[in-house]
Amino acid sequence: MKENKNTKLNRKLIILAAIAAVILVVAIYFSLPSYKKTIEVGKGRIANIETMAQLCVIDLYNEVPILDTINDKVMFAIQKQRGSVSFDLENMHIDADGDTVKVTLSPEIIDIYEATEDNSWEVIDTKAIGTLALLKSDKFTDEEENALKANIREKTCKQLYHNGTIKRARAEAAENLRSLMEKVYRKPVKVTDPTPLGARYEEYK
Amino acid sequence: MKFKFIPLCAIAAAMLASCAKKADNTELYQEIKSVDKMVFASMAITKTSKMESSGWYTVGKRIAVYSYDSYMRAYIDLSTLQMDDLVFDDKNMTVKVTLPPVVTEIAGRDMEMRKEYDNIGMLRSDIDSKERAEMKEKANASFKAEVEENPTFRQQLIDAAQRKARKYFETIFEANGYTASIDFKPSK
Repeated sequence: MKENKNTKLNRKLIILAAIAAVILVVAIYFSLPSYKKTIEVGKGRIANIETMAQLCVIDLYNEVPILDTINDKVMFAIQKQRGSVSFDLENMHIDADGDTVKVTLSPEIIDIYEATEDNSWEVIDTKAIGTLALLKSDKFTDEEENALKANIREKTCKQLYHNGTIKRARAEAAENLRSLMEKVYRKPVKVTDPTPLGARYEEYK
Repeated sequence: MKFKFIPLCAIAAAMLASCAKKADNTELYQEIKSVDKMVFASMAITKTSKMESSGWYTVGKRIAVYSYDSYMRAYIDLSTLQMDDLVFDDKNMTVKVTLPPVVTEIAGRDMEMRKEYDNIGMLRSDIDSKERAEMKEKANASFKAEVEENPTFRQQLIDAAQRKARKYFETIFEANGYTASIDFKPSK
């Protein structure tokens, strides 16, 4: 009978000790500093200033969904892009000897950047695929992410050739250039375009 | 039976309509704008972002530093250049040119990020894409605030663009036999 009482007492003590231990752990958890993530940004510094003489005829603004796979890792993201199509005026061939000024349009310069609006690069999800996908990491390394972004730039360039944006840019450049050169030379100007579909059209075909 | 079928059709149609509306809302935006800009200078500005994370239960460091460049450019809007902005003196073979003001804008930023440094402990997890995007987002907000608050960036770019524009137009008029004096309209 006495033994039974002692067992009951021991059980109560064990339960109380367990509760006290839980309370202690919870107290420690909340008293210690929790997980902290800090992001510090340095002041901007000028890397370089470049001078040029480029005629920019098209400004682009694009918001594209990105779904790409690198090394059995899939990423889905949304990117806002900004870009332009320009022409180098300094390397343009101008023949002003005759009654008509003859200008030959130079190859187009395509600049594609990530926009600077808020959330211009938004990663929605990443996952690992292939055999033993569950055991693999779905995290993209810097190199993998940069390779994916290089693919994005190429795809956007290709799209510009395919949807006729480059063709339109070259036609507009020819017209704008003619108008400018006529003001400067005060003679009729003829702009010749050796590649109306784009200097790199064949490459992206 | 027929009457039961009609409300069902109406519900289905309403659901389809709401789905279509939703699809419209999620459609992504694309704009291709014709411009007539003459770009004379561009500036690359480097931003660096450092991330560090730790907790009482973590073992080892988790520090990463990344950088990337953002670009600004300076241009003049040629569509506003009028015939009377060019005054020719054929007798003395000189021309006085008043160009539109130099305007600056943010052209964009690098897609890629450069890893400058990292120290990830063996028991800590690697930096993921969402964290890198977060670092870039903070750096971008800081960059835009700096450009807004610090006129040095814009002024240096405008000065470089004006020098280049002068040189370019002087050369082009010289090829036509004229000595040019280039000026700029004040910015509004």
